[in-house]
Amino acid sequence: MHTRKHSRAARAGLIACALALAVAVPAAAQPRPAPDGDEPLLVLAAASLTDVLPEVARLWAASGGAEVRFSFAATSRLAPLALEGSADLLISADREWMDWVVERGGADAAGVVALLGNVLVVVVPADATTTPTGLADLARVDRLALAGESVPAGRYAQAALAAAGVWDAVAPRVVRGESVRSALQWVARGEAGAGIVYRTDVAVQSGVRTAFEIPPGLSPDIVYPAAVLSGAPHAARARELLAFLQSAPARARFAAAGFTLLGTPLSQVAPSGPASPPDPGSALVLSLVVALAATLLGLAPALLLGRVLARRDFPGKTLVTTLVLLPLVLPPVVTGFLLLSLLGSRGALGPALAVAGISVPFTLLAPVIAAVVVGFPLYVLSARGAFEAVDPRLEEVAWTLGSRPRATFVRIVLPLALPGIAAGAVLAFARALGEFGATVVLAGNIEGRTRTIPLAVYALLESPSGGGAAWLLAGASVLLSLLALAGYEMLSRWQRARLEERPR
Amino acid sequence: MSAAPFALDVDVSVALGTLALRVRLASECRTVAVVGPSGAGKSTLLRVLAGVERRATGRIAVAGRSWLDSASGAFVEPWDRRVGWVPQDDLLFPHLSVRENLCFGATDAGEVESTAELLAVTPLLDRRPRHLSGGERQRVALGRALLTRPDLLLLDEPFSALDRPLRIDLVGRVRAHALENDIMLVLVSHDEGDAATLAEERWLLLDGELRRI
Repeated sequence: MHTRKHSRAARAGLIACALALAVAVPAAAQPRPAPDGDEPLLVLAAASLTDVLPEVARLWAASGGAEVRFSFAATSRLAPLALEGSADLLISADREWMDWVVERGGADAAGVVALLGNVLVVVVPADATTTPTGLADLARVDRLALAGESVPAGRYAQAALAAAGVWDAVAPRVVRGESVRSALQWVARGEAGAGIVYRTDVAVQSGVRTAFEIPPGLSPDIVYPAAVLSGAPHAARARELLAFLQSAPARARFAAAGFTLLGTPLSQVAPSGPASPPDPGSALVLSLVVALAATLLGLAPALLLGRVLARRDFPGKTLVTTLVLLPLVLPPVVTGFLLLSLLGSRGALGPALAVAGISVPFTLLAPVIAAVVVGFPLYVLSARGAFEAVDPRLEEVAWTLGSRPRATFVRIVLPLALPGIAAGAVLAFARALGEFGATVVLAGNIEGRTRTIPLAVYALLESPSGGGAAWLLAGASVLLSLLALAGYEMLSRWQRARLEERPR
Repeated sequence: MSAAPFALDVDVSVALGTLALRVRLASECRTVAVVGPSGAGKSTLLRVLAGVERRATGRIAVAGRSWLDSASGAFVEPWDRRVGWVPQDDLLFPHLSVRENLCFGATDAGEVESTAELLAVTPLLDRRPRHLSGGERQRVALGRALLTRPDLLLLDEPFSALDRPLRIDLVGRVRAHALENDIMLVLVSHDEGDAATLAEERWLLLDGELRRI
């Protein structure tokens, strides 16, 4: 009695402490409001400016400017934030998103400045034996890595290749990453013999070297528009900052980082070509094909492993179980990275696969393999559960009735476990439909070959015109997932009913 | 081997966790009952005879055929034994109808109807096991075993779900059927009364040993 009272008091004390913390922590986390006029400016800036802008901001502070905070991200993420009214300045990586912001009243069209430009370069792996000297040479590389066609860098590169008259020759070799960075990664890893990226990106990536710069006339002008936002809390100082960004000291820094200098009103810059958004139909079909293939390919191994794990004890069983379940908890991007390290052309199994004439990255094989690997744990778990639920004594009875083990498996075990196995297949199928992280690393983002629904949605969100198609695919995803889960629930019920032994 | 027909010759040791059995049983009778308290290992003994419990050493010979001989390493698999095993939990195949359960190991599908008649399950032939009562299920399990025409029929607490008079009646009919068809019968029961009524010979399994009573 005494101890119980004691512990109740202790619990009350704990709750009081937790409450006090809950009240105190948010209060402590709130920054103390700065004195009027001293609040830092909030600048939303494209990710490719991450290295150079803080340097320029320090220059400004040294010459009497205000304190600046930056939020660096892909422009597609920043543009919606620019409409929220708490940021002062937006520096976009392309004019399409800036136009999107202007159309929604987030900035005044007349005030948009074409601040910086960039140059496309052809990069090759640092250890490449031959170096292309012109765009025509790119028809001879094994693969050419570009950013996705909804990302400006991808559109610009395609336009340049078309303008040089070599697009048709290189098109079959083109592999697309979801961003410039992934295209660059593939070149650095030797998965692609060449890539087209921004000049400013090369400096930060080891393992690649620049072969040549693409003449500016070949592609639409690559522009970083900047504008003071309509809802800017500190509009006057934001205008001062924008002016400073176009001043001589700032321009010297930008030039050193590889940017070209524009500083003209955006209206004087020729617009870029329209984006070619991903085709939702092709993504839907590809997703279904990939998920179905992964489900079928996983069936036999899942049955075998599920059966062994359900009925056998062997040394290392825990290890095997852990390895099989690993992709369930591993970040999918890590799974993709490990698969690429294993199956890529410079991966552990790459040479052996090359001898067999098999290429995994960027081919249809890649999303299928990624889907098999991430879906397999669910498959095996379901199959194992289904086999464990079958009373082993049913098999023993069947043996005494003259049925050999293999026949017993076919006549008794498999039929009884079937609904559970089918439920596992449905789960694996659903997981395959949703697979993104491993696929984007291993497979790239290639229309009709590796661009499944999640990759297409991701690409569509990069483009301001992608909303409708993104909703279409999102709807299809939700519908397919609901169907799969309903199917899973039905199959699970069937399994329970099938194993039901007692009279009703 | 020139053993007499219906000879049951068993000399096995089993050690499973806390259960240790050392069983010697030699009988010329066609119906043998094994009684003993629950937990004595009666069901395990039947599992050893059926061949589904492999962790037994020693010797088993039924009607002159050797099923187990650890000395020579011989082990006849359960599917080659011609043994009918009716476990205490009837273990009908839940996804098959009563008829399909009966046919599962039947050597002659033509006997299904007459066996169903014998065990009074004819009206149930097209039902699923889950729609049967406990007693009905036990009768179907017995019929399933009988239809394989076994040399040895192992009954574990047969018809425990039935009242005693019904139980005695049914087991009596089964015994008659077994005698007609040259089937040896080993019956396990915790009820000595049942055993006395149904078997020519009774053995007591106690403290891991089998004694004739």
